[in-house]
Amino acid sequence: MFDLVHLTVNSLATANVYGLANITISYFDMILDYLVAIVISIIIALILRVPLMPSDRYSFNVSAIFPTPIIAMGIFSFFLVLNYTFTFNGLLLAAIIGICSGLFVKYLFNYIFPSPEGGDDINE
Amino acid sequence: MNEIIGIILAAVICWLNFVIVDTYFGLPEQPGVKGARIIGESVKERKGDIAGGFFQGNILCSPDASAGTLMASIGYLVLGIPGGIIAAFLIFIGNRLCADPGYAGTTGSLTATVLIFIFSFIGLTPEMFIVGMVIAILTIQGIDQVRASIILGKIAEKFNRHAKE
Repeated sequence: MFDLVHLTVNSLATANVYGLANITISYFDMILDYLVAIVISIIIALILRVPLMPSDRYSFNVSAIFPTPIIAMGIFSFFLVLNYTFTFNGLLLAAIIGICSGLFVKYLFNYIFPSPEGGDDINE
Repeated sequence: MNEIIGIILAAVICWLNFVIVDTYFGLPEQPGVKGARIIGESVKERKGDIAGGFFQGNILCSPDASAGTLMASIGYLVLGIPGGIIAAFLIFIGNRLCADPGYAGTTGSLTATVLIFIFSFIGLTPEMFIVGMVIAILTIQGIDQVRASIILGKIAEKFNRHAKE
């Protein structure tokens, strides 16, 4: 059964059914792309005046180091596993995703994932 | 590596990963939602530890590092390291839907991905981590909830995260 999963995903990626991928990129490029996505998303969030750190361990407010890079890395991973890395070995795609996730966290996040009623303290 | 030894080793690694991450992010300190408080108080009535009860209630009510470790193992099995990162992203969305800030689940998922990558060099496969994680959750929730809560309470005291009541 596990072989079937591998076979399906790998053949989809190799046959490139979902995208217009150019060539398969190396591990070095993947790591570089992740770093670019993380750094650019944090920088964009800071430029948009999102606070750098969450205020405490139970805070629902967004910040630059959480969840901005998580969203950037997650979205970039979807493109990576579908083998759609676009030009410049994925660097351009990583930069675009970084910018978009910074904008998303600043302007759309609280609309899509609002804090539970009653603000930060949701005890009962 | 032998499958049985690998599963036991993976269960221990998963147990340490999710208990340490969850305790560090304060699951035993307070119940996130009403259901977690009810479970905590029920465990306390049966002579368990209230902090361990809150821990068990919290990991039951929202996807924390326990679910993060399990989903990271599955993601790693299907898609490799990017699969583990996708699991962290999905866990974060799930956390927000369950009225949970999401620090513990996301961190646990990413640390689990790193651990699976490191231990793949000595022959532990993601399949072993999936089985190991199911066994690890069984020891917390399934076999003896009261004794498990006492152990979790002691760990919470070591991390200075015990419930203040």
